[in-house]
This record gives sequence, structure tokens and C-alpha cells, in this order.
Amino acid sequence: MSLIKLLPDQLISQIAAGEVVERPASALKELMENSLDAGSADIAVTLGQGGVKLLRVTDDGNGIPHGDLTLALTRHATSKIASLDDLESVASLGFRGEALASIASISRTSITSRHAEASHAWRIAADGGLLGDASPAALDRGTIVEVQDIYFNTPARRKFLKTEQTEFGHCEEAFRRIALSRPDVGFMLQHNGRALMRLAPGAAKRRFTEVLGPDFSAEAFELDESAGGLRLWGMAAKPTFSRSARDTQYVYVNGRFVRDKLISHAIRQAYQDVLHHDRHPAFALFLELDPTLVDVNVHPSKTEVRFREGQAVHRFIFHALHKALATPVGLPANGLVPPPVAAPAISYSSGIPAGQPYPRQQGSFDLRANEAPGFYQTLFGGLPREAVDTSSPLVSSGINQPDMQATLAPPQASSGLSPEQATQEYPLGFALAQLHGVYVLAQNALGLIVVDMHAAHERIMYERLKNALDGDSVPMQPLLLPVSFNADRFEVATVQEQLSTPEGQQTLHQLGFEIVQLSPSTLAVRAIPAMLQDADAVALARDVLRDLREYGGSRVLTERRNELLATMACHAAVRANRILSIQEMNALLRDMEATERSGQCNHGRPTWFQATMADLDKMFMRGK
Amino acid sequence: MNIKINRDTLLKPLSSVTSIVERRHTLPILSNLLLEAKDEKIVLTATDLEMQISLALQTPVGGELSTTISAKKLLDICRSLPENAEITMATAESRIQVKTGKSRFNLQTLPAADYPVMTKATGTTYTVVSIDQKSLKRLFKQVEFAMAQQDIRYYLNGLLFEVNGNRLNVVGTDGHRLSFTSTELAQTYEKQELILPRKTVIELIKLLDDSEEEVTIEIASGQVNFSFGDIKLISKVIDGKFPDYTRVIPVGHKNSFNVDRMTILLAMQRASILSNEKYRGIRMVLGSDSLRLISTNSEQEEAEEELEIAYGGDSLDIGFNVTYMIDVLNNVNCDTVTFSFADANSSCLVTVADDETYKYVVMPMRI
Repeated sequence: MSLIKLLPDQLISQIAAGEVVERPASALKELMENSLDAGSADIAVTLGQGGVKLLRVTDDGNGIPHGDLTLALTRHATSKIASLDDLESVASLGFRGEALASIASISRTSITSRHAEASHAWRIAADGGLLGDASPAALDRGTIVEVQDIYFNTPARRKFLKTEQTEFGHCEEAFRRIALSRPDVGFMLQHNGRALMRLAPGAAKRRFTEVLGPDFSAEAFELDESAGGLRLWGMAAKPTFSRSARDTQYVYVNGRFVRDKLISHAIRQAYQDVLHHDRHPAFALFLELDPTLVDVNVHPSKTEVRFREGQAVHRFIFHALHKALATPVGLPANGLVPPPVAAPAISYSSGIPAGQPYPRQQGSFDLRANEAPGFYQTLFGGLPREAVDTSSPLVSSGINQPDMQATLAPPQASSGLSPEQATQEYPLGFALAQLHGVYVLAQNALGLIVVDMHAAHERIMYERLKNALDGDSVPMQPLLLPVSFNADRFEVATVQEQLSTPEGQQTLHQLGFEIVQLSPSTLAVRAIPAMLQDADAVALARDVLRDLREYGGSRVLTERRNELLATMACHAAVRANRILSIQEMNALLRDMEATERSGQCNHGRPTWFQATMADLDKMFMRGK
Repeated sequence: MNIKINRDTLLKPLSSVTSIVERRHTLPILSNLLLEAKDEKIVLTATDLEMQISLALQTPVGGELSTTISAKKLLDICRSLPENAEITMATAESRIQVKTGKSRFNLQTLPAADYPVMTKATGTTYTVVSIDQKSLKRLFKQVEFAMAQQDIRYYLNGLLFEVNGNRLNVVGTDGHRLSFTSTELAQTYEKQELILPRKTVIELIKLLDDSEEEVTIEIASGQVNFSFGDIKLISKVIDGKFPDYTRVIPVGHKNSFNVDRMTILLAMQRASILSNEKYRGIRMVLGSDSLRLISTNSEQEEAEEELEIAYGGDSLDIGFNVTYMIDVLNNVNCDTVTFSFADANSSCLVTVADDETYKYVVMPMRI
């Protein structure tokens, strides 16, 4: 009698189903991917009771020929690959040939399909994996897969199902992920007889808006970068649209939704400088690369991938996104494209710069001007003269002082630029006044701009400090007393790897580090970056080694250095209650336009916002 | 229970003792000092549990007193009273009244019995070392600036105090630079070493004066006592192994030059203005009979100082953290200093003309 037996096929499928069909949503994902692989242009999903009772996917794809119907429900049968070479360069979403079989083994499944060249459709049903015979059926094209009563024959699994709402939520999320990935395909989602989403094929941006909501696309920028066979495109939200949870994060590799540590780390780092550390960015990004350079056959659910050149991918994603995030205000990427302004170039005698289409305030009577100087002088008697002169809109608009024209009209505007040029070139407009010593009020073509002056100046100083240092090599401070520490095997191996190649040594040196191995389990730090000489050398070395091991490069030191610079910038920036003159405020606005990432302060808070004339008009119910 | 004391007699001892009392405490009694008056003698004791200073004053007090009282408040009161005011202190239950002329202050007290007094370690053998106050103070001042501050290598947050034969060696380092000094002792001892905590060293420098008066140092395991004048200071020592300084101090550096201390100090201070404010790098460029100090900052501004020196060694271009150089030049007390180098990657040795035992080692920076 033998103890070891071959398991029956159906049981094998049920075991495999444990991985593939974790919950109805994963079955839905598999079915929708099959539809996409079949070249469908329109996919309809019908759910009943959160997908537990009914899960129907209808498509208009190629269909399955009559003879293959039985095979389709058999384990390890697929039309997508035929050889190992195919597997290595797989371009379809599925390839394992076990999804349908697994699903069929734990539910009542039927497939109705008409192959493009067949004269009519055929239907085959399976009850818990027991195949019936194919029978003729009616269908004009494509395939309908209907899955009923998931887990009806595996009670243990059924117990793990959550409420209908939760399961439906998961199904909807699976639907969303797939819908996002293929804007060229139409999708429809129905639950318990109600149509919930109908997505027409169209442009990617429209699909993003429909699936992720208008808020997201209003706050997000598009990006499309490619280099060396890699392409990253999609939309990422500006740091100000950050979330407290990681719920709006979609990453696709060659059209396949993935949760990859390497990619999320690269994205996280790109946002690091502009996002508060417990906020999460929102994005839908697509990475495209040669399928041979990525291994998707890591896990049956295929949400993990492995890159041949992980380091290069990490670097590419980081740089692409970092660059896009760094674009200064006013460029189209920031969404601040001034609409064509039909601004009559009226010349206001009260000193309104020609470059500003909206009158700042109503023109004043001579009467007021006559009494004004003495009156306002007493009113603002306590303030320094300059503050009274230039930073109070009350005064500046009312008085006909001879030097007022010169003070108020920005030099740029008076130098012969047309209004359009001025707005194009100065998207943040020109300063009007300072509010309670904290905010700078400015106007541009669109309306009012409010700038947090400390936050903005802080960012400008910070970027300046960083730029000054980025070009330099990192000065290294060798230690008089090298610091040795007990290292684990991974750390030792990383050091050995680094030191075995000249490039590896170079990497460490560029970071300003010198690490040697003393014994099989001891490492010693012999030099650290001079900038961080007061830091804990061991902790620093450990962080750097971990990053080198996992991502092939380390930004730990840059990040630490940036923290120092941020503190310096914060101290160097103008504080609240510092009275700024109009010229100083205009200079600040110009600096912001020229500075990368000036939309957020070093802690990820916004530095400015725009209240458009339309917003203001709405508030005052004008023009209704 | 009440005593009388002159304000001026009390003020100076009070401020010496109070300086170790920490501002914030989870243990309220530690912000108090212990006041014991008996037999024409008044003893003030303060502690932070790591070290303790007690100061005995021989003065007629006309009574007995034993209590603890807020050190900071008592000091502030004494400081603001007029000179030569006669202070009367009287306790009643848990309060003490401090009175002089028409001023009256009622302060809270905590029982003297609760005060965590550190006592001399018993049952261990002591090594007793004697040295005069002036020499000890000089030793500390020569090396104290090189100590680490809140380093995670806790053993660097203090000074190595080493008795070896008839030498007393004191060493401070923060891992980047090291300062070593030594003096001769009257007697010969077995090798003994301990690490004095940073705070103890700083307090000792404040308390020691420039007299020839004897300091008695008693070294026991885990504890060290300094007694001089009216003061008894007991301190715990840092439990750890100090790095082997002898391996760090280089010998046989052949490229060396002498330079006037003030000249190079002022030149360094000027050059440091334009050094990078975060890592403070400065280049020392040595050529035949010339030394140039060059610094650049992140805005690409540049400072250059040129000094004429007598130098016939190799040409060198070596970078340093200028703070480390300014520190040593500020703290050694002599006219001429000697800089010695091997090459641009090895440490630099700074020695002084009139004290051959003093050595300062600093690592270069690769700019």
C-alpha cells in the first residue's frame, strides 16, 4: 500500500484556486483580463450580491472555437503561450492557464462563446469542476462567462467571505484597476441590477477623470517620460492633493496592475521633498518596458513583478517623477495656463500697471486725495513711513503721490510688454499688499493670488542651498576613531559586493562613505560625509547599506543632508510680521516662478493659492 | 530651628553648588539643595544623582538647621538682597522662612532625610592622588574642548583620566580629533584609568582656582572624589572602555612647521568666514616657506590667507574642518605652535613649544 498518491485533478484545481481566487474580486480580475487578452473592445460586468451569487463578464472578443471549449476549463490549458520563449516575453495579461479551471472548480461556471468564424455559439457548463457537454447556444459574438455561487463546494472558504458590501467594494476596485489600464476599451459595471459605471472608450485623461474622480484630475499633472527603452506615463497628483491613506495609487507595468516595492519606493522618494511624511501621494502611472526585462511569473495573482534591471527602473521612475514634480509654478504642468484674457488695455490714471487686466480698485475722487495724506498719516502714525507708503492698498490707491506710479507699477510691466506677455511671463502676477505681515496678496490675469510668504521664501532658500551643494563632490570626513559595529550577513554581503567592483567603491565614495570589513560579522565605518559628521555613523551606515542592497543606490544621505538644509532654510527665511515693500514682494513672486517645487514649502504645505475672478464673482453673486 | 548668616558669606558657595542642579526634574527633591547647619558650620550639598558637590563653610550660625530648599529660589533671593544683609532662616513644619530686614520669604521645604546623598563607596580600595589645583585646571582646560557632546558612543562624552606610573594623562576625543595632555605626579602608582563625565569636568573647571593648593583625588571603582578647599565633589564615572589613544597619536611626521599662534588663529578665523557653513572646510596649502589657507563656500565665494613660515617639507594640499583648528588654537596657552603632517590623507599633529607633553590630533577632510 502506498502512502503517497497522485491527487485527483479537481482537487488540484481547488488547491490552486486558493491562490488564484482569493475572493470574488480576484475571479473578476481573471475574467476581465481574459476578455482583454481576447481583444475585446467592450466589456460588461454584471455582479449579484457582491459577486458571490453572480459574476458575469460579457465581451465582444475573439471567442473560443467549439473544439477548445472543454480545454478552456481544463487546468494548464491556454492559448496565450506555447513555449518557454513565449513565457519569457509574455505580453498578454494571463499565461498560466489555470484561472478558469480554478474558478470552475469552486463554482458553477458556464461559458457561452462564439468564435469569429463559427456559424453559431456554443455553451459549456461546469458544476464544481465537473464538465458538462457543449451545446449550441445563441450569441452574436464574443464570450460570456458566468460564475455563480463561488465557493459553494468549499465551505471553509465561504466562511472567509465578508459582507456583500465589502465583497462588492473589492470587485469594484478590481474593475477600476482594469478600467484604468485600458482607456481604449469600453467598460460597464452592474450590481444587483443597477448600472453603476459606464465608461466609453476614449482618451486616457478622460478615463482617469471618470474612474478617479474630477478632483484627482484637476489636481494632477500628466507626465510622459521615456529613456533607454523605458517609458513612464500617466497622471500624478500635485503634493497638495495628498491623501492620508494609500488608496489612490495605481501602478501598471506593461498594462498589468502591480504592487511593487521597488516602484513604490521610487515614487515615494520622488515625492519625499514635497510631501509631509505621513501623507501619501495619489497617482496612476504606467511603466512600459520590453517584456523580456520583467518577470511577471512571480506569484499566481501576478501583482508582483521582478525587474532584470531593478536599479535602472528605480532610477528612471525616480527621475521622471522628480523632474515632473520640480516644474516651477506657472508652467503648463502646474495647471496654471492663463486663459485668453480679453483685457482691454485701459490706462488707469490711478497708477494701475498696464499689465493687469482688472482694475484694482475704483478710481478715486480728488476730494479724498486732498484730505488723505494727513488723515492716513495719523491713522498709520505708528508704522514706518515705507510701510504706510507701499504696503497699504488703502493709501496707495487713493493718493496721488508723485512717486506712487513708480513704486507700484512693476518695472517689467512698464517696460513695454503687452498684457498677454506679462501674464505669460509672470504667472504669479504682481504684489498688491501684505496681509497682517503673513500673506502676500498679488493679482494676476486670473484674479487674486495669496502667498504664504514664509513658506514660499523657505522653499526658495532651500532649493538654493540644495542647488549650491548638488554640484559639488561630497567632502568626506575620515574618522580618527573608526566606528565598528556588528553587522548582519546582508550588510556584510552588501559591503563585499560594493568593494569587489570599482563602480561599487565609486558609489560609496560618492556618497562620502568609507566602510571596511573587519571580520565576518564586523564592519567599520572609516569615513562619513563631512556634512553629517555629528550624526550617528552606525545608523547612517546601516541605512545606506540597506538602500544599496534593495534599490542599488542610496538617497539616505541626500535626504539627511536635505533635512539639515531645510532647517537652515527655515531659519534664513523671512518670518511673519516682517513688513515687505512692494518691490520685495514682487521679487519674491519672481523667485517663486523661477524655483523648482515652489508650490509647496519644505514640509509639503502649499505656498500659494489662486482665487480666480470667477470664484470671487461667484462669491459676490455678480453677473448672475 | 533657626540660624543667622551673612548674605555675602553664603552667596558664593551657594552659586557654586547650585550650578549642578538641573532646571527640570521628574524628582522634585533634586531641584533642592541640602542645607545642614551645626556647630558653627554650614554644609551645602547639591546633586544630580551623577555627581554631588558639598561645600562646608566655617562660620558662626548660632543654631542648628537641617532641611532641603529650592536651590534656584534661594540663590535668586540671596543674589537680590543688599550687600552684607543678615539673613535669618527659621523652619516651621514643611516651610522655611528666610528673613532679612523687612523682607520675608516663605519657602517650601522637603525633609532632609529624603535627600539622595551620595556617599563614598565603602569596602573598595582607593587610590589617592594629589595634585595642585592650578595644574589640574590647566590639564582639563587643554583637553576639555575635544570631548564629545551627547554622542551615542557614551564613553566619548567625557575625559579619560589615567594614572600610570608617575604620570597623570588626560585625554578627550569626539572621534574626529583628539587632545592629549599629561603631567608628572609626586608618587608612582599602578595603572588606573577612568572616564570622567563631561558635566563633572565642566563643573571642576569652574570650581578649581589657580592656586597651588592641593587637590586630593580618590579613585574607587565606579566613583571618584575630588576634595579641595571647602569643596568635596563626588562623581560617578562613565562605565566603558575609552579608545586606545596611543594608537591614534602619530609619531614621526616629517613635514612640520612652527607658527605664531595668534597669527594663524586670526588668519583661520578670517578664512572661516567664507567656509561652507555646514561642514566648515578649509584647505591648508603648504609650499616652500609659505602656507596658504583657502576656503570656499556654497556661493563660490573664496577667501585666501597667506602666511610666511619656515618650511622645507613636501608640498601639501590638505583639508580640515576649521572649527577643530580654531578650537585648539584658542585653548592652548602659548606663543608658538607646531603643525606636523605626513601626507594629505593622514592625521595632523599639533604640538606646542612650551609643553612637550601636549598633543592634538585631527583628521583631515577630503574636500
